[in-house]
Amino acid sequence: MLKIENLHAKVEDNDILKGLNIEVKAGEVHAIMGPNGAGKSTLASVVAGNENYEVTEGNIFLEGENIEDLSPDERAHKGVFLSFQYPVEIPGVTVTNFIKTAINAKRKANGLEDMPAAEMLKKIKEKSALLEIKKDFLSRSLNEGFSGGEKKRNEIFQMAMLEPKLAILDETDSGLDIDALRIVANGVNKLKSKDNAVIVITHYQRLLDYIIPDFVHVLADGKIIKSGGKELALELEEKGYDWLVK
Amino acid sequence: MSKYTEDDLREELKTQEYEYGFYTYLDAETFPKGLNEDVIRAISLKKEEPEWMTEWRLDAFRKWEAMEEPEWANVRYEKPNFQDISYYSAPKQADPNKSLDDVDPELLEMYKKLGISVDEQKKLQNVAVDIVVDSVSVATTFKKTLNEKGIIFCPISEAIKEHPELVKKYMGSVVPKTDNFYAALNSAVFTDGSFCYIPKGVTCPMELSTYFRINEGGTGQFERTLVIADEGSFVSYLEGCTAPSRDENQLHAAVVELVAMDDAEIKYSTVQNWFPGDKNGKGGVYNFVTKRAVCETNAKVSWTQVETGSAVTWKYPSCILKGDNSTGEFYSIAVTNNYQQADTGTKMIHLGKNTKSTIISKGISAGHSHNSYRGLVKVNAKAENARNFSQCDSLLMGDLCGAHTFPYIEVKNKSAQIEHEATTSKIGEDQLFYCNQRGIDTEKAIALIVNGFSKDVLNKLPMEFAVEAQKLLEISLEGSVG
Amino acid sequence: MSLQDKLAAAFKGNSKNASVENYKKEAFEAFSQKGFPTTKDEEWKYTSLRSVLKKEYGIESAKATNITQESITPFLVAGLDSYKLVFVDGVFQASLSDSIEEVSVKLLSEAIEDASYQDLFENKYNSLAKGFTSLTDLNTAFTNEGVVIQVAKSKVVSKPIELIYLASGETSAMLLQPRNLITVAENAEVKFIERHQSVANVATFNNVVTEVFVAQNGIFDLYKIQNDKDDASLVDATFVAQERDTVASVYTFTFGGNITRNNLSFYQNGPGCDSILNGVTILEGSQLVDNHTLVAHKSPDCQSNETYKGIYGGKSTGVFNGKVIVDQAAQRINAYQQNDSVLISDEATINSKPQLEIFADDVKCSHGCTIGQLDKSALFYMQQRGIPVKEAEALLMFAFCSDAIKEVKVPALKIKINQLMADKLGVNIQFDEIAE
Repeated sequence: MLKIENLHAKVEDNDILKGLNIEVKAGEVHAIMGPNGAGKSTLASVVAGNENYEVTEGNIFLEGENIEDLSPDERAHKGVFLSFQYPVEIPGVTVTNFIKTAINAKRKANGLEDMPAAEMLKKIKEKSALLEIKKDFLSRSLNEGFSGGEKKRNEIFQMAMLEPKLAILDETDSGLDIDALRIVANGVNKLKSKDNAVIVITHYQRLLDYIIPDFVHVLADGKIIKSGGKELALELEEKGYDWLVK
Repeated sequence: MSKYTEDDLREELKTQEYEYGFYTYLDAETFPKGLNEDVIRAISLKKEEPEWMTEWRLDAFRKWEAMEEPEWANVRYEKPNFQDISYYSAPKQADPNKSLDDVDPELLEMYKKLGISVDEQKKLQNVAVDIVVDSVSVATTFKKTLNEKGIIFCPISEAIKEHPELVKKYMGSVVPKTDNFYAALNSAVFTDGSFCYIPKGVTCPMELSTYFRINEGGTGQFERTLVIADEGSFVSYLEGCTAPSRDENQLHAAVVELVAMDDAEIKYSTVQNWFPGDKNGKGGVYNFVTKRAVCETNAKVSWTQVETGSAVTWKYPSCILKGDNSTGEFYSIAVTNNYQQADTGTKMIHLGKNTKSTIISKGISAGHSHNSYRGLVKVNAKAENARNFSQCDSLLMGDLCGAHTFPYIEVKNKSAQIEHEATTSKIGEDQLFYCNQRGIDTEKAIALIVNGFSKDVLNKLPMEFAVEAQKLLEISLEGSVG
Repeated sequence: MSLQDKLAAAFKGNSKNASVENYKKEAFEAFSQKGFPTTKDEEWKYTSLRSVLKKEYGIESAKATNITQESITPFLVAGLDSYKLVFVDGVFQASLSDSIEEVSVKLLSEAIEDASYQDLFENKYNSLAKGFTSLTDLNTAFTNEGVVIQVAKSKVVSKPIELIYLASGETSAMLLQPRNLITVAENAEVKFIERHQSVANVATFNNVVTEVFVAQNGIFDLYKIQNDKDDASLVDATFVAQERDTVASVYTFTFGGNITRNNLSFYQNGPGCDSILNGVTILEGSQLVDNHTLVAHKSPDCQSNETYKGIYGGKSTGVFNGKVIVDQAAQRINAYQQNDSVLISDEATINSKPQLEIFADDVKCSHGCTIGQLDKSALFYMQQRGIPVKEAEALLMFAFCSDAIKEVKVPALKIKINQLMADKLGVNIQFDEIAE
């Protein structure tokens, strides 16, 4: 699904990623953990194609295709979804209008007609129920005045609507209380299948109690310094990162 | 508006060029260029006007000659040469009272291109239309239906002949001849426009609409609109404007007067899309317009405008809140791109007690354009309990444009409550990246954000025109980023 | 003879310094052409100087004076430890002033003759004021005294420097035109307090110009306390030019005077500047205060923060004209402006004109303006708890102004301002204890 080779990236003049390698296969869940400033969010942004980050070396393959030259929207059309750590507010644009636009843009890119209104409506109903989102929420302006929990739930709602191949959840657990965390994790689990993959970026073990990873990687100073199974996350929770970083 | 998706919109946009930039070859009668008392007499004669009207025009002309073109607006342009304009041009076959079968087929073809239905069969639209091409009104629809309710909706030239008592009483009562330079010029040379009278207690059953079109080159358009809503009546009125693409600057100096008597309500919407000039700022219409309403007791006037066209716009639709409990509203979206300049806003003059006004202005600047909001909120000493809320937001696209805000607030009564807020911001890169990540390309993302920004105003337009307005916003901003 | 004619007849224009002489001649020429501003000028639309200009002013500085330490004490800020520089009728009073070791202080009249100041006169003096309004030009043409103060690199001045300009009222009505030039060198920090005060009840017209230059990393604070007598009018023009990473604050407190026009202009010439403009105005009678501010954002990554509060009673008039210009080069600017007014009488007027002129796109600018009354339910609530209406109103008014006062960094001054506000509002309350 996703293969990253020797990735180097910088923002402004700071080198953040310094030779990162990772391979994620369909059907897998990977957790990426690491101390602050290790480059976790940079990795997410670079895979999604944020132009503020410059890739100086290395390759990113999505289903065998090098996506280096693709714009963020083209990557999205190919099935990359990033759940933002800080979702952006867009005043005056409703959640419904936004997701409708996004879905139809993707369908168009894939040579499909717009989704019929009835089907769209049905899907919105179904997915909002999954995330326990109330109806009036859908007619509010995107992320404007949303609480932290609402923003994150809205991100996973969009993920459910867009059905990506590769979902990257960037600190989706931050700012969530335990109930909201369960709802979000439940949503993600329901969307998991043998054909898609999930990368969970997090600081803490907590989310991984609900979204069970197949692999856990430790990212520090721009590289993966240790990989293991889900037990690695528990070990990190207990010991911190210092014993690895040295 | 929700029924109209962004994609429907995109589909309709095949070109970045000014869509209404065609010129229709009509057999036209056009006066030679120049302005003097003889020209004014000739216009009056051509219009078969009564003597009092001719005198009224001449009086305005003499006063205009003594006036100076104003310079306080935040716009730079080459002053028009008033002797180099033809003050009368009419398609030869125009006669609003003829049946459609008699109309010049070229003219019908032009309506089609403009997307105007003059076919009374198309009742679906439920809009009565008056169409003014260059200097004359060429077609008025739905006359019969309106007549049954006692509503008068006709070209102003006709009203001068048929309803002189109303015209005499109200023309110039809201915008005096000498109000300003362009209003004086208009008073002298206006050639047509719409007249509308809604009798007491009548709610006009349909939208009334005037479509203005400058077709001939070297001409100016000086239309005059007078809307009178008698006690307890209601009318929703819309005007649309287009002009062919030309290298020269054409002058449009209109006057619109609204009279809302006790308990009456007028909703006046404008979709202004005069030719804005080309990408390099060549050509385009100078749009110097005076629009004002008087509100009597309990009356309400609401101005809604979507301004996307014109090279230079100078326009302040205003409300004189004369009666107690009267309400004035102003909702505006002004978009400038390339080298366009707009200086627009409103004046809310609170004279009566318990008067209320609301101002929502959204300015969007792109390219090398400059967009200014200029507004006055004035509360006189006797205007107890006046309320005003103003919100002026500017959105900037690109770093070569400008957004300016010049609000004037003058309050002489302690019970007034005035709130004014203004913000200026740009479309954030983070917003664009977020949309991109969800698969929405940059141009569509901008359309989405701009529509969100303008929503408060778009919502105020009649449904049919909201769609058109949304489309215009997109056309106007195409190619402004990236 | 009109004041303008009188000035024309009195103009000498000669100076012991060639640059200054040149400035004077140029400025006089410009003034003669433009004359005094009228309400036809957009910038003077709401402020007429007619009544001020009608009076018969003496335009030469007085020579002798009977002002003593005792006679000025009532006008000083109690408990304020400051360096005082006192002028009476435009003449410096060494006996009433403190000597200052920490910074270089020179009288304008002396600096003009001092060759070591030549660079300052050539490059800084009049560089901001020139042509600003006809009244600034008038000051340039006629001024003959004021201070030139230079704060050296990295010097943190230990106490505020207080500029006290007094009018003795011993002669007839007076036109006074002091001129100050202040430079704050790199990394230095200094606070100023400025007063213009008539001691007796004669008409005074102060036409003041102050130019301030703050070099990299410098911090400059200026507190203007305007509480003059009813017959004293003031037109002030203060210019602050900021280099990179500087912080400049000007506070304007206006409680007295007849007509007061404050022109306050900030120019951000380097990145990382922070400009703070705060003002409180409380008026009654037929007083008029016109606060005319300009913040010119000319460099990227800067901010400005402006808060003006006004309370207008009697037949007074408040004018606020706040202009914020953001140049195209000034990206990533954060400019905030707020102007709130309360009218407490039927005959008071407020004219407010906040202006934004934005030529850059990556900016966050906002201005807000409100005009309203005191919250009636809050008043009732306080009355119900036994607070008399006058005190209750005063408390609310103080709360209303507190945003513009809370940052005052000189404690004795803060107390003085609170006291002046209480006096003006006719109550006897220690506000700050309650407010904080």
